[in-house]
This record gives sequence, structure tokens and C-alpha cells, in this order.
Amino acid sequence: MNRKRFYLVISLVLLAAMLSSSMAAAQEKTKVVIFVGLGTGTAADQITRQEALAEEFNATHDDIEIEFLIVPHEEANTRYLAMIAGDNPPDLVGPHGTSTIAAYLDTWADITPFIEAEGYDLSDFYPPSLKLNEYPDLNTGLPLGLYPSFLLYNVDMFDAAGVEYPPSDYTDTSWTFDELRSRAMLLTLDENGNDATSPDFDPDKTVQWGFDDSWISIRGLLAAFDAPNVGRPTTDDYKTAVANSDEWVQGLQWFSDGVWKDHFIPSLEERAAYESAGLGTPLDGGLIAMFWSHSWYLAEMREVYFDLEFEMQLAAPSFNFKGTRVARIHADNFTMPEASKNKEAAWEVMKWLSAPEQITEVCLIYGCVPARMSAKDEFSAAMGEAFPGLDLNVIFDSIDYLDTPHHESWVPEWTKVEDTMEYAGGLIFTGENTDAKAVLDEANAEIQALLDEYWAGH
Amino acid sequence: MLKQFDIRRWSLAKREAAAGYFFVSPWLIGFVLLTLGPMLASLYFSFTDYNIIEQPSWVGLDNYAQLFQDPLFWQSIKVTLQFSALALPLGLLTGFALALLLNQAIPGVRIWRTIYFLPSVLSGVAVTLLWILIFNPKIGIINQLLALVGIDGPGWLSDPYWSVPALVIISLWGIGQTMIIYLAGLQGIPTDLYDASKVDGANAWQRFWSVTLPMMTPVLLYNLVLGLIASFSYFTQAYIASSSISGGELGGPVRSTLFYNLYLYQNAFRYFEMGYASAMAWVLLVIVLLLTLLIFRSSSAWVYYEGELRGRT
Repeated sequence: MNRKRFYLVISLVLLAAMLSSSMAAAQEKTKVVIFVGLGTGTAADQITRQEALAEEFNATHDDIEIEFLIVPHEEANTRYLAMIAGDNPPDLVGPHGTSTIAAYLDTWADITPFIEAEGYDLSDFYPPSLKLNEYPDLNTGLPLGLYPSFLLYNVDMFDAAGVEYPPSDYTDTSWTFDELRSRAMLLTLDENGNDATSPDFDPDKTVQWGFDDSWISIRGLLAAFDAPNVGRPTTDDYKTAVANSDEWVQGLQWFSDGVWKDHFIPSLEERAAYESAGLGTPLDGGLIAMFWSHSWYLAEMREVYFDLEFEMQLAAPSFNFKGTRVARIHADNFTMPEASKNKEAAWEVMKWLSAPEQITEVCLIYGCVPARMSAKDEFSAAMGEAFPGLDLNVIFDSIDYLDTPHHESWVPEWTKVEDTMEYAGGLIFTGENTDAKAVLDEANAEIQALLDEYWAGH
Repeated sequence: MLKQFDIRRWSLAKREAAAGYFFVSPWLIGFVLLTLGPMLASLYFSFTDYNIIEQPSWVGLDNYAQLFQDPLFWQSIKVTLQFSALALPLGLLTGFALALLLNQAIPGVRIWRTIYFLPSVLSGVAVTLLWILIFNPKIGIINQLLALVGIDGPGWLSDPYWSVPALVIISLWGIGQTMIIYLAGLQGIPTDLYDASKVDGANAWQRFWSVTLPMMTPVLLYNLVLGLIASFSYFTQAYIASSSISGGELGGPVRSTLFYNLYLYQNAFRYFEMGYASAMAWVLLVIVLLLTLLIFRSSSAWVYYEGELRGRT
């Protein structure tokens, strides 16, 4: 080969290589990494279904591909922060709830510009669900799934005690906290079969309790009593602590009396007994007549529902002392880290996950109620198959009464405030201090100190 | 120029030193990168406000000053001291007593030693979960046994007054490690000392008091220092027990198990106050260092070093 021909061949090879690499670059998809682990999504079954979801997305999109990065829940907090700090951020995070969104509020991108830029239609989402993601200068994500709360009750216990069932009708104003207390006391039994209204009742030998609401934070517990800031222990400007509002004091005293005077609510020690005794969750352990929880609890019961040794039914949460009803809610969605390097693509994926075509499928993976009203029938049909006989309207009707400001919403020093409130709850449920006013006054002073410290530095 | 790197020209001592450094280099590199480096970094962070996401900002001694005004810091010191005051002497005594028993010529002694040592190699998490069941107020075996003798058992891990004693009992489960060290010490005592004391007419108690105990004091000192460090570093069991029992209140119920390390962890990985947590870590180091020095200073009064005495004569 002479020199001329040699240079020609080399030039052609280089040209071909350049062309092929630029074509490959043109065809290369933008990868959107979805960080899963701060909330639900890490169970084996969920991982498989998420992978199927990713395949479905990747097969139908030429420019974007998604990858679910599954992180064990106990490592997720540090992994997420390490990725942000190491300039290797995920593009979406979720599904996760209001609490983790609040805990890392500074790290999320505002999706308002994306919504406004294309006039994205939000009218199909339950209106209150949109509020859960809205902060003064920030919209953290599109609604995806909701976990309304309601009462789950053991029908057999009501039948055995001859007590009227709690209503599923949300317009029944006779269903108050006082009424709940009355019925719960009749359903609380000691080992001799005496109920909590009997003078012979022995509270140290209780074998069945009428009511329990322990699988929730103290802010969630007290949101039901509809204080001016509902589930938030601060004023609207986040500068003044209001954890000792009249409504919260009255509510916490109701719980305190329920445990220590009327004995229809299990104390912390009694809870520990049923929680660690291998009896499953409070309701399916057969020790609780009425349990206030969320639809995620129902999802947890999916596998045991058909094996339950009693009939279960759903009812509306009761009206509080102000004559209003607050049925706290949990909500999951995907959020976009501000540090994401693929925000445009991440927005497309966020929309796709919440789109009418996918939302039911996505929500069935995570056990939440789709935040789109149009998905109600499809989701109801799927839930009806999983839980035949349950009055599922109770779940959907609850959405109208959600707590806003939410009981997991952001406040300055969010985790410290949560810990302060949990300590306050611990004092009540251990019996260390049964005076709700004193307990919440102390908590309020601690929270105020945290707020003062926060605002001094901001 | 390159002659100085020609190993063949090096003196034997220099070559030996180079070989020594070469062979310890994996450990040295590991120590510098994985221990010394992070230690120095945490010392720097302890003078900063650092939340992982943002760059650390220098705050001088603020974190240290804030520590001493923090009521939860004092609560964590109180809880840790309570635990140490109970667990340390109890662990030392029980381990020693077990070692004495298992140093006897009894049938199947190796099996017994294995049985008592085994729990110390089990996972702290699994063991704690097991103990949560044992301490269950209603169906736990401890309260069931107490009920047989007419005692209404406490709530243990869910009772703020009994949570620390319960954790002390759990800590005894892992004394196999201490026991093995005692056992090695006991077997290192020269038998001629016992023979001589028998000839002098010493009974079993006198032999224990005048031979075994003095000869074991260096081992006691060793276990005391290790036990002190372990009790101030106590974490796993308190973390698992409180997060499983107290409705998620870490260090609960009502902050009764808020150990120093648990509070440190909370600051680092729950509140993401890495600077504050680093300051706590250094304060812990100083506390443990001071207590260890105190023990070493006191050791001249109660630890018997046979070699030292022989050297002096």
C-alpha cells in the first residue's frame, strides 16, 4: 500500500468513527434515575413491578429511559444526602410522603415553572391533594397517591358486645369522639369478661381494647381536633409555637383519659405487649375493636385479609369537639431534586407516572389511592377484588376531610420538632405525666426554643 | 543521583527498616486513609456548621459551647453513666465468676465454655429482637416466671424506670468475650503458686484471695478498660429496642434510653448536624480518655505485675 492510499484509508476510518459516534450520541437516551427507598417501594414484589414499569416506559420512549435505584429503607436517608453532596444526584425521588419531603425540603426543585410553561392540566387531581405539595415558594411534585385514614373495626367484637357499629355515613353527626369513647368502653374487656364501664373491671388484666390510634405521629393524632393550624404546631409564619392550643390540649387529654381513666386505649406498655408478641398488627392480632389508620394499613393486610378469623369493616372517623371532622391523610409522590442534571427529562417521567393511563397501575404497586378522580372506578374495581365485602366508599369519602396544614408538613427544625412531640406523647402513653396541658406546655416551650434558634440563623 | 536508591548499597539496618515499612504499609495506608483521615476530618467538622448538603462553615468553638447548654446532652450523659455504673461491675463480676466455674475440671467443660461464649458472637440486632420478646410484659418469659412467684413484672423496655436495667441484663448476654479473656488469664497462673499455698495450709478461699485474685488483676484491669469503652460506646441494643418498642421514639420511652452514642447518631444522621455530632464524638473521646487515665493511675494501687516486681529485685 503506498503512502497516499494509506492516508486515505486512515481518513475514511476516522470519518466513519466520528459519524458513528455522533449518531450514537444523537440516539443516546437521557437516563432518569429514580431513587426509591425513602418511602415505600423496596419490597421484593414492588421491585419486580417497578422493573416492569421501567420496561414499559423505556419501550415507549426514544429519548428518555428510566432506572429505579432501589436503596434499603434504613440506608436511604444517608444515601440520598451522600448522592446530593457528591454531585451525583438522582433525578427523581419517590414515592415518598410529606414527612420526608418536609425533612429535605431545601433539596427539592420547584415544579411550578414546568406546570406553567406548558399549562399542565391539574383539574383531574383531587383539589386538596394539590395543596399537600404546595409551600410558599415551592411546589414539590405532582400528586400521585393518597392514603386516606378511616376506622377499621372488628365486626365480631361489636356483635359479641351488642354494640352498634360505627357509621360509614360521613353525614352522621352523632358519631363524635364522645360517642366513640362510649362504644369503645363497652368493647374493652378484662380477662373476666367485664367491660370498662363495669365497677368490677380490672384494668391490669385487660385482654381487649376498644380503640387504638398508635400507628401515627403525635401531630397526626392531634390533627383530628382541628386546631387553627390543624396538624402543624406553629403559626402560619412558622415563628410561634402553638403546640399547646386548646384543641390539642383537649385532644391529648381525651387520649390520656382514654388510657388511664377509661382504659379503652392501650398504654405504651400494653401496646408493646401486642406489638412484640407476634400477634401481627393491632387489628388482625384480634386485640383491638376499632383501629384508626390509613389505606396503607389496608395494603399491609392484603395477604392476611382472607385468613382473618373475624369480619372486618370500615367506618368514618368521628367528629371532634368543635363539631368538625378532620380525617388526616398521607400522600406519596415523586419529587425532583434541585441538583438533578436532567430536570426536563425528569419532569416528563414525573408526568408519565401520574398520567391517567399509568396512575392506577403505579398506585397498585404502592397501595395508595390514585390522586386522580378519573381513576377512582378502575382503582375501586381492583381494590374490590382484593378486599371483597369492604365498604370502599369510606376510603374515598375521607379525602374531603384531609388535614391542612398537614400533620407531616414542614416546620423549621422539622425532625427535632417531631422528636419533641413524640416525647410529649411518650409522657402521656407511659403515664409519666397524664396532664395534657402540662405536657404540651413543656413541648411548646421546647419547640419555641427551636424556632427561635432557627430564625436567629435565617 | 540514583545511587542512593540502589538498595544493594544500603546498610543492613536500612534495608531491614525499608522491608519493615513495606510489610506494614497495607496497615499504615489503611490506618491513615480509613481511621486517621476521618478522625482529623471529624475534628475539623467539630468546629464547623455542616449539614452534608452545604459546604461546612467555620463556627469555632460554638458546637462545644452549645453542647454544655443542651439538656439532651446531659440526659445522654446521665443515661450512659447509669448504664455503665450497673453494667460494668456486673459484667466484670459475672464474667469472672463464670470463668472461675469453667476453669474447673468438670465433665464436658469445653462444651460449657462454647455454650457460654456462643452468645457473644451472635448479631446484636438478632439478640436484641429476641430479648424484646423475653421482656414482653404480657407474654415474655421473665414476667411469666415472676408471675409464678406472685410478682407482677414491670413493663421492662417500655417502662422508663426499667428500660436501662433491662438493657443491662441484655448486656450480660454477651459476657462470653470477657469470660474467655479471664479464662486465659486463669490458665496462665503458675500451678506452683497453688501448690506452695496448699503446702502452707491455705484453704480454697485463701488460695483465691491471695493467689488467684492478685494474679488476675492485670486481666481485670484490661477488661475494666475495655468494658468502660464499650459501655460509653453502647448503641445497637438501645437503638433496636427503643425504635421497636417506643413507637419510634429513638432513645425512648421518654428519653430513658437516650445513650450518648444514640444522641450522637441522632444529631449526625437524623438532624444532619455533622459538626455538632463531631464535637460530641471528640467530647466522648476526652471523657473516655480521662476515665481510662484515672483507671491506669489507680492501677498501681491494686494491679499486681509479677514481672515488674521481679525486675526490681
